[in-house]
Amino acid sequence: MLFNSYPFILLFLPAVLAGYFWLGRRSNLAPVIWLALASLTFYAIGNWQFVALLLLSIAFNYGVGHLLIVAKLAPGQRKAALAFGVAGDLLVLGIFKYAGFATENINALLGTHIAVHILLPVGISFYTFTQIAFLVDAWRGQVAAYALPHYALFVTYFPHLIAGPILHHKDMIPQFARKETKHPDAHLILCGIIIFAIGLFKKTCLADGIQPLVALAFEARSPSFDQAWLGALAYTFQLYFDFSGYSDMAIGISLMFGIFLPVNFNSPYKAASIVDFWRRWHMTLSQFLRDYLYIPLGGNRRGRVLRYVNLLITMLLGGLWHGAAWTFVVWGTLHGAYLCVNHAFNALVPDVPALLARPVRIAGAALTFLAVVIAWVFFRAESVAWALRILHAMADPSNIVLGREEIAALVMIAIYAALVWLAPNTQEVMGYDHGNRRVGEALRAGRMRPLALYAASLVLAFGILGIQSHSEFIYFRF
Amino acid sequence: MQGTPTHLRRFLLASIVCMLGAAVLTYVVDPLQLFRASRLAFYSDDTRVQNAGLIRSQSFDTAFMGTSLAIHFRQSDIDRALGVHSIKLAMTGSNSRQQAFVLEQAIEAGARRVIWEMDDFIFVDAADIAADPYLSVDLYRRSAKGIASYLFSAAMAKESLFGLLRSVPPLREPLSRAAPYLPVKFALANVDDIYALPRDFDLARDYNANKTLASFAYITAPSRRRFLGEGYGYEAMVRHFEQDAVGLITRHRDVTFDIYFPPYSILQFVAMRDASPETLNIVMDLTAVIARRLTRLPNVRLHDFRAIKAVTHDFANYGDVIHHSPVVDAMVLKWLASGEYRVDPKKPTASLDELKAQVEAYRVER
Repeated sequence: MLFNSYPFILLFLPAVLAGYFWLGRRSNLAPVIWLALASLTFYAIGNWQFVALLLLSIAFNYGVGHLLIVAKLAPGQRKAALAFGVAGDLLVLGIFKYAGFATENINALLGTHIAVHILLPVGISFYTFTQIAFLVDAWRGQVAAYALPHYALFVTYFPHLIAGPILHHKDMIPQFARKETKHPDAHLILCGIIIFAIGLFKKTCLADGIQPLVALAFEARSPSFDQAWLGALAYTFQLYFDFSGYSDMAIGISLMFGIFLPVNFNSPYKAASIVDFWRRWHMTLSQFLRDYLYIPLGGNRRGRVLRYVNLLITMLLGGLWHGAAWTFVVWGTLHGAYLCVNHAFNALVPDVPALLARPVRIAGAALTFLAVVIAWVFFRAESVAWALRILHAMADPSNIVLGREEIAALVMIAIYAALVWLAPNTQEVMGYDHGNRRVGEALRAGRMRPLALYAASLVLAFGILGIQSHSEFIYFRF
Repeated sequence: MQGTPTHLRRFLLASIVCMLGAAVLTYVVDPLQLFRASRLAFYSDDTRVQNAGLIRSQSFDTAFMGTSLAIHFRQSDIDRALGVHSIKLAMTGSNSRQQAFVLEQAIEAGARRVIWEMDDFIFVDAADIAADPYLSVDLYRRSAKGIASYLFSAAMAKESLFGLLRSVPPLREPLSRAAPYLPVKFALANVDDIYALPRDFDLARDYNANKTLASFAYITAPSRRRFLGEGYGYEAMVRHFEQDAVGLITRHRDVTFDIYFPPYSILQFVAMRDASPETLNIVMDLTAVIARRLTRLPNVRLHDFRAIKAVTHDFANYGDVIHHSPVVDAMVLKWLASGEYRVDPKKPTASLDELKAQVEAYRVER
């Protein structure tokens, strides 16, 4: 089921909200079970064949977690339990996500014709990573014993289940346990709807609106210089509004239930460096990769050279997490290389004088954006060869078409660029403070003008009017 | 400010009012001319949607259908060459389900003659028309769902708003001139310009032998040759031909169908011969079935332009191995008018046999 669909907005969400708050009058546990069941239903609609896998994954990880938290195991046994749990998760992820890719490469290398056809379970990357973090924290002794319904809800919670943000048990489970969240809070519901509306508008009107232009570069046999650039930029903005729209919708929906989800985007295209970009783009994935991959690998504690190696490994695996294809490997490696260059630059070049700070920041932002756009070409292209063809066109200004279609595309790109660089982001507009569990204080205090409320209603209206029958989220494939 | 519950109610009410407002705006402006014809109307190149409005708003006696090979024809040229009053409904990449459905609507709206550019690949297996995500059956039929999807649409509201602004006299001229360069779909002032190439188009740049030969090399490269046969399955194609083409024709005995096989470059068949011979066999067998079947139907005139060597062997006429230039469009109209290449019902596969011989004999100069 899609957030940007009439059945979800008009039926599923109101029914789940009503049931949640109705049960909340009677019990603190029943709404949790209700929400977990609703989340499974949400998943089952369209992905019923993978519900058993999801339930097995929950049971397996909860069992291993129980061993790590409650059972009195010796240190060696604890380590073995963790290794067993993480290996089990990675094995399942590997089979479903990477078996086909591995077979393809073996076939290419050895000239064999082994065929592997395994469907990718939707959301598997997200719920697997979520649970690996849980196991590692349980092993570190940072997790209290959780009740099964709360744990199951933490994994399946439908606002995040399919495309994130990646949740952390320490952030979520205490919220599920709170009694206050089971009672409707008109302020949180209003703020939740507004944030959802902004996300829906981003998805249906902005991301889906620019999507046709992507074909200029990625579906053309030999794009011209301007077509390649316009297509690459269109994808750059499509991905931004698609994914940040989804994340906003997830936060908005969750807020209606009184639950604060972590922020996943902070205007990433305004980043002044690649390091800054990764602190602003898919923030929960960046945090996961840092805490559960980069730091365990040694982080920056083992000298400069190993730091760069760790960065490259982390980003390469981050690329593979997005998809089992060489294009994602190249994308991840490129970003790893960018990060190495950025850190080396910071280490070698002294701080710039205050007078030059602003121009340097602007130049840094432009260079960062350029680097990100080039990497997105690999992220989107069907193959590395296809990506190289597009990049070749982007580097050949002798072949320019600039016809009617290209000029119209240019106007559209300019509008999107203005929105990305000049408009405030959703959390700034709504004063969303995940850490302090605060949102819309200006609205609550009456400092927000009624006009803003009507503008938001227009955004919701156009978000709903923009719903199309065939529009998926890009991150559903990961 | 009042309390939050009041805000919430006001917010939701305002959203509903906005949606209704957008629907009213679209109904009043009616960019698609689905409810009423308009002198101030503009048109879109998105023919799968635009056709639904054209069928409602235009007067015509002849419907022109096809794929991207027929997309650049101008209605005025068709009218002049054939002495008809036409409506061009060609849709790029369309399949026989879509074409038959749209033609059915046009016939119901008054078309007594159909000119149909028929490619073999339109008969590939695809979604049934009711489940087709790329063609709104409900919009064409003007069902409640179709009307709702038209009125309650942000994209149409945007077009309507632009249309409304364009109808304001001081803004009319500048906005009409700017429309083709802006991200609005209904940007063409003349119905004749739908998907037609601009009159000052540089034909030599886009249609030349270099491009045609490069395209041939591209599609026959070992890594891509499997695409040549993608979707081709003899049984399914014959079934779709019977269901979509023959079904439509036999349901409308009072309508004359001028069906033509377009003049691909010879390289289209040579590519199949060299890189995917099984696909060539399917194409030849399928078009033999089509030729035999159609020539037996009394309301069909079948024309086969695929073996006209002077055109198909001159690669300067093409932008790739199949898409011919507007110069050839004009020839097609001339041939249709004269009936010069009409298939003889007594020898339905004669031109096909000629084509087979040409394909067999042709050697590509590398």
